[in-house]
Amino acid sequence: MQPPQQYQARLEERIEHNPKYLELHFELAAPHQIQFEAGQYVSIKCSEQGHRRSYSICNRPDITHGFELLVDVTPQGVGTKYLSELQPGQEVHILGPLGQFTIANNPQEQQLVFIATGSGITPFKSMILDLLQVKQDKRPMTLYWGMRHAEQLFWMDEWLEIQQSFPNFKLHPVISRPMPEWTLCRGHVTDCLNVHQFHENAGFYLCGNQAMIEETTTFLQDKHVPPDRIHFEKFF
Amino acid sequence: MQDQPLPPADNQQPPSSNQPGTVMSTQQVGKYTIQVINNKCIGAASCVAIAPGTFKLNEQNIAEVISQTGDAPDIQLLAGQSCPTAAIVITDNETGQQVWPIE
Repeated sequence: MQPPQQYQARLEERIEHNPKYLELHFELAAPHQIQFEAGQYVSIKCSEQGHRRSYSICNRPDITHGFELLVDVTPQGVGTKYLSELQPGQEVHILGPLGQFTIANNPQEQQLVFIATGSGITPFKSMILDLLQVKQDKRPMTLYWGMRHAEQLFWMDEWLEIQQSFPNFKLHPVISRPMPEWTLCRGHVTDCLNVHQFHENAGFYLCGNQAMIEETTTFLQDKHVPPDRIHFEKFF
Repeated sequence: MQDQPLPPADNQQPPSSNQPGTVMSTQQVGKYTIQVINNKCIGAASCVAIAPGTFKLNEQNIAEVISQTGDAPDIQLLAGQSCPTAAIVITDNETGQQVWPIE
């Protein structure tokens, strides 16, 4: 892995998916290129006092001239306030790449199962696009994405296009508070996992709130998934 | 990612080496004294990536200080500021003031 480095980056684009989720595209100002692995994150300086917050990179790692982030703006802490007020043209100081939550170099993982809640999907976008579009990985991959309300989902057109282009990829959005007309998975991600079968050598990747991590880890342990095939992002 | 506000600094004095949950090197020869509150550390290892001369992960995947002078002071401060759980406490040896975390 590349050692982390300090960068200046300029905000190029803001995409407000809905009141909860904001996507930000940055162009690197100096240095001009960043090398990272899918799943890694950057630390952004959010105050003059030195407060920093960490956000996973959601674009493919072969795009080296910039990076894209997805922010849940509802907590209104120092990081979300800073980023939600940032306007195109303004510069930020970042440190990266950081993190070890990457796809395991384990050929025994014959199926990849990604389990996210909310903005926990961000590292998986980078990983899945990298695996399918760049590495031409043919292993079956399934993404379970938990969200409270269906209206909060984003990137759905992109996911459905990927699903059409790559038959080895399948998305299952899971809504915990669905409207009556919602016909797909409902409840917690484990409710959806529970009705599906997995390869005995599947690798499971988890990113999201702590309750989901704990619930899913327990669920997988009960299914006798060995600990070295359960990977999760620690900092979320 | 969730945005978790840093907890306020409890006081302006560095924690005692006898305080439960604290790993401390006894050397105080650099600009800063650096401590890891090990029951706050989640093993994200950002400190190890940023300041590998100062931090390492132990067998329990918890960060510990291996040298108070293993990296430049500004890099050590950056490592502390980048810790997602504010588990690194940095005190200026000259002034005795805790410089990280701050409110």
